[in-house]
Amino acid sequence: MGTIAALVAKDIRRRLADPAGLLLTLMIPLVIAGLMALAFGQFAGGPEEIQKLRAVVLDLDESPLSTVLTSPPRDEEAARRLEIVAVATREEGMQRMREDQYPALLVIPEGFTKGLLRGEKVQIELVKNPSQGFSPVAAQQAAEVLALYLSVGARVLDDFGPQLESLLDGEERSWSDSVALAALATAVYARIKSGDNLIFPPLIEVSEPEAESAGERLGGFNFLSWMYPGMIVMGLMFVGIYQMKDLLREREAGTLKRQLASPIGAGALMAAKIISVAVVVMISAVVMMVMGSAAFRMTWGPPGRMLLAVLLSSFAVTGFSALIYAIVRTERQGDALGGIITMVMSLLGGAFAPSQIMPPAMQKVSVLSLNYWANGALRSLSSQGGRDIGVYLVVLAVIGALCTTLGVAILARRHFRGAV
Amino acid sequence: MAPDPASAPALQVIDVKYSYGKTRAVDGISFEVSPGEVFGLLGPNGAGKTTTITMISGLLRPESGQVLLFGHEVSAAGGQARRPLGVVPQDIALYEELTAAENLRFWGRLYGLTGAGLEAAVSRTLEQVGLADRAKERVRKFSGGLKRRLNLGAGLVHQPGLLLLDEPTVGIDPQARLRILDVVREQARAGRAVLYTSHYLEEAEQICDRLAIVDHGRVLAMGTVDELRRLVGEGPVVHLRGEAAPGALERIAASMAGVTLISASDSVASFAARDAASCSALVRELLGSRLGLEDLRVAEPNLQSLFLKLTGRELRD
Repeated sequence: MGTIAALVAKDIRRRLADPAGLLLTLMIPLVIAGLMALAFGQFAGGPEEIQKLRAVVLDLDESPLSTVLTSPPRDEEAARRLEIVAVATREEGMQRMREDQYPALLVIPEGFTKGLLRGEKVQIELVKNPSQGFSPVAAQQAAEVLALYLSVGARVLDDFGPQLESLLDGEERSWSDSVALAALATAVYARIKSGDNLIFPPLIEVSEPEAESAGERLGGFNFLSWMYPGMIVMGLMFVGIYQMKDLLREREAGTLKRQLASPIGAGALMAAKIISVAVVVMISAVVMMVMGSAAFRMTWGPPGRMLLAVLLSSFAVTGFSALIYAIVRTERQGDALGGIITMVMSLLGGAFAPSQIMPPAMQKVSVLSLNYWANGALRSLSSQGGRDIGVYLVVLAVIGALCTTLGVAILARRHFRGAV
Repeated sequence: MAPDPASAPALQVIDVKYSYGKTRAVDGISFEVSPGEVFGLLGPNGAGKTTTITMISGLLRPESGQVLLFGHEVSAAGGQARRPLGVVPQDIALYEELTAAENLRFWGRLYGLTGAGLEAAVSRTLEQVGLADRAKERVRKFSGGLKRRLNLGAGLVHQPGLLLLDEPTVGIDPQARLRILDVVREQARAGRAVLYTSHYLEEAEQICDRLAIVDHGRVLAMGTVDELRRLVGEGPVVHLRGEAAPGALERIAASMAGVTLISASDSVASFAARDAASCSALVRELLGSRLGLEDLRVAEPNLQSLFLKLTGRELRD
C-alpha cells in the first residue's frame, strides 16, 4: 500500500511541477460555456429572428369563447407569429404534434367556459413535445399568458356569469338584445375601472400531464445550469486522456521498465496509475465546479451528493481514458482517438444541445455515452440539488467498473507482457 | 542488503535462451558473477547483452535456462527476488519534472526505504555520484553527464547486492565517464557484484575483473583480461588498411613463420605476430609488397584484436 502511495504521490508531484497543460484543460469548460452563454444571451433572438409559435389545439369545450381561442389569427402580424392547427380528437392532436413536429398540444376541456363564468377554477392542458427542445418552453409561457388574460377576464365578468351564460346559450336573451348587451358592457367597464383583485389568485391553471413531461423539464430553463455540466464532463474527459497519456510517456522514457524491474508488481503499478489519474480528474472536477459557482453562480446541491457525483464521474472518466490508451499505441493516436470519441460522446450525451431534440435513433444511442449519465448527474445537482441523481450514479459506477476492468486488462497485457 | 560472500554467487546465468519471433537473441549464454567482482559483457549492438540484462532484471522470462539471484530464481520468486538488484538502464530513466533528490527518494521508496533511512540513503547517494550541491535542481536542467550520474545513483540508492549497468557511459564527456567508473569500482570494493555491459573495450579492460565476449547471442570467449589477451597471442598485432585482396594477405601469412592472419575484409586486415622479430619481418614484407596500403599500425594485443579474431569484424560494427 505504501508503494502505491509513493507511486501516486510521484505522479501528483510531477503534475504540480508542470501544471500548465492541466490548467489550460481546466479552462476549456469555462471558456466554452461563457462564450455560448454570451452568444445565446446577447446575439440571438433579436426582433427579426423571433420564430413563429406553433401549436395544435383540441377544443373539447366548443363554446364561442373556446372557438375564438382556437381559431387561426386573422390579424396579419399575429398570423406571422402564430400558427394554430385545430384537431378533433386527442389522438389526432398527438399524432400531428409528433409527425409535424409541433412543440405542444393545447387541450381546452369540456365545460371550460361554463366553469370560468361560474368563477370555478378550471384547467387547460398543455402537452409538450419532448423532441422539440426550446419551443415547448415558449408554448408553455404563451399558455400561461393566455391563462392569465382569461383569469383577468373571468374576474371582470365575475357577477355577470349567469347573464353571459344565458346569452351564450341563447335561452332567454340573445346577442341581438342590444339593451341587455349595453347594460352588461356598462357594468363590465365599471368593474375594470375599479381594478381590484383581477389577477391573483389565478382562476386558470396550465396543467402538464406527467407522462409527457417525463425526462428533462425545460420549464424555468437556465441555460448555464444546463450547458456548464456538459462542458465540465467534456473537460474531465480531456483531463483524463491527458493524464493517462503518461503511461505511454513513462514507457518511452524507460521509467516504466525501470519500475517493473523493482520489487513492485505490474498490478501495483497499474493500480497506482489508475488512482493517480482518478485523483487528478477528481481535483479537476471540483475546481471546475468551483469555477462555475464563482463565474456563473451555479449551485451543486448537498455536499454528500456532490461528492458522490464527482467520485463516480471521475471513476467513469478514468476508466474511459484507460480504455483509450489500451487501444492506441502512440501518444498521437491517443490524442486523435480520445479527442474524437470525447467530442462524439459529448454531442450524443447532450453537452451542446439537449438529447431530446436529436433524432430518435440518436436519442437511443446517447444513453450509451458516458457523457449522458455524467451530464445528467451534474445537471441534477445544479437544477434540483440531485434529487433524482441515483440512477445516474449507479450507471456511472457500472460504466467506470466496466471500462476500468477492460482497460486495465488490455493495458497490462500490452505494456507488461513478458514481465515476470 | 550487503551480500554475504559465503553464500551462493550473486548471479548465476545458466544456459538461457530467448527469441524475438524467429530471431534468436540469446542462444545459451552462461556465466556467474561473484560478490565484489566486476563482470563485463562485451559485444556489439544486437549481440544479446540487453536481452540478457532484461532477463536478469525479471522483465523477460527465459525460454529455457535459469537466472539465479543470490540462489533464488528470478522468474519464480516474484518481486521480492528483485529486491537485491540495482538496475541502471542504458536509456536515462528519470523524471525530468522532479529534482535529483525527489527522484532518488522515489526510487528508494520502491525498494522499501522509508523515513530517516531513506533520507540518509538519498544524501549518501547524492554524495557518491557528486550531485549533493544539485540535489534541489530539477533534472530537466541537467546536462547529459549529470543525468547519467543521477541515473547511476537511482540504481544505487538502496545499496543493492548486484548492480546491473547497461552501457552506463554512452554519450558522455570523459570527465563524467571517469566519475562513473570510479563509482563502479567503489561499489565492487564495498563487496557488491557488478554486471557491466559496454561496447567500449578500453573501458571494460580498465574496470572489469572478468569478461565475456558475446555476439549473436552466444559467449565467444570468457575470462580475465589477461586470459583473453593470450587468446590472441603474446606478440604484437599489425593492423593495416588498404586495397589488399584477402587472398594476397593469406599468402603472406602462410609464407611467414610466426605470423597469423586474424581477420581480413575488403579494406582492413589484422595479423598476429609471435614476437618482435616476426613482427618486423611482417612489416618489411607488407611495405615491400604492392598491396596499395593506406595505413599500417603495430599495437599490443588487446580485446579489440580478440574480438576481430573471434568475429572477423570490429566491435563497433
